[in-house]
Amino acid sequence: MKIIGIIPAYNEEKRIRATAEACLPFVDELIVIDDGSADNTFMAAKSIPRVYAIRHTINRGQGAALRTGTHAALHLTADIIVHIDADGQHDPSQIPDLTHVIKSNQADVVFGSRFLGQEPKGMPLSRRALLLAGRWFNTFAQGIPKTISDPQSGFRALNRKAAVQINFKQDRMAHASEILKLVTRSKLRWMEVPVTVTYTADSLNKGQKNTDALKIAWQLLLGIFTKS
Amino acid sequence: MLIQILLILGFVLVFAITWRRFGQNVITFREASLWSFLWLSGVAFTLYPGLTERLASFFGVGRGVDLILYLAVAIQFFLIFKLFILNEQSERKITNLVEREALSHLNEDEPASANRPSNYESNG
Repeated sequence: MKIIGIIPAYNEEKRIRATAEACLPFVDELIVIDDGSADNTFMAAKSIPRVYAIRHTINRGQGAALRTGTHAALHLTADIIVHIDADGQHDPSQIPDLTHVIKSNQADVVFGSRFLGQEPKGMPLSRRALLLAGRWFNTFAQGIPKTISDPQSGFRALNRKAAVQINFKQDRMAHASEILKLVTRSKLRWMEVPVTVTYTADSLNKGQKNTDALKIAWQLLLGIFTKS
Repeated sequence: MLIQILLILGFVLVFAITWRRFGQNVITFREASLWSFLWLSGVAFTLYPGLTERLASFFGVGRGVDLILYLAVAIQFFLIFKLFILNEQSERKITNLVEREALSHLNEDEPASANRPSNYESNG
């Protein structure tokens, strides 16, 4: 089965090689989507063997970059598609934990969860409280089952069928909740597996802020009324 | 009173512009009708201020002016939200264009060790 990893990257010139090289042993090919970076992320990614570098001419957000990457992976005849962050928070050695579930035909979509026994490293207490609130928000406002333990997981794997079927529209941070909603309301089989996420000062500085929770809720609200 | 004359002239002007825009196919008949209802209501309330008091007491609001203010705020919220939605639709169209442009280069920059893809399948 052909496994293709997708890494959306924005101004990750310095980190993209290390992240990509850490992922490559666990995938057949890798797609890096430079989401309109101001630095040389695209050229840095392009110089890595087995890596397809794709460039958004302007910044469109992580969800948009993942969607472009997913379409590219389908084009490249991927059987399994893995979404992974560029900032090094996810542990690439856990990619097989996700893909194994799909390979053994136990699920069509696998979500990595930070709250299934493997303690996140360096996660601030405020982030933990916010994610708990996000879980309740997802349940009441989005109709996502409360059994989903991680409301904003960005580490996930999909088989080809799921990647074709799940047509997510959110361009920015709200894509994670939208994907959860689409998957759990479909007839696709899904599963969560425990993953370890490591927060560093750098990733916390660049990654989502606590105040982004309000933006996500707003984007999801607009998404309900937006035809496209 | 002078204020009544000015207000009515204003409402008549925008009423005329509304139907001119309908004639130019800029807005639909439904939109023109809705806006016209708003302008004609304005004329009615300007000519007969007592109407707002009666409406206000019907809704349990103290004064007619307060009712108009509440309605104005509600209508503005609605219109602003609609603008956000239109903006979101435009954003998605831009994203689709950016994606299409990005994918058009996929085959040009393939890594040496990768297989050339044979078909393209999109869910978008």
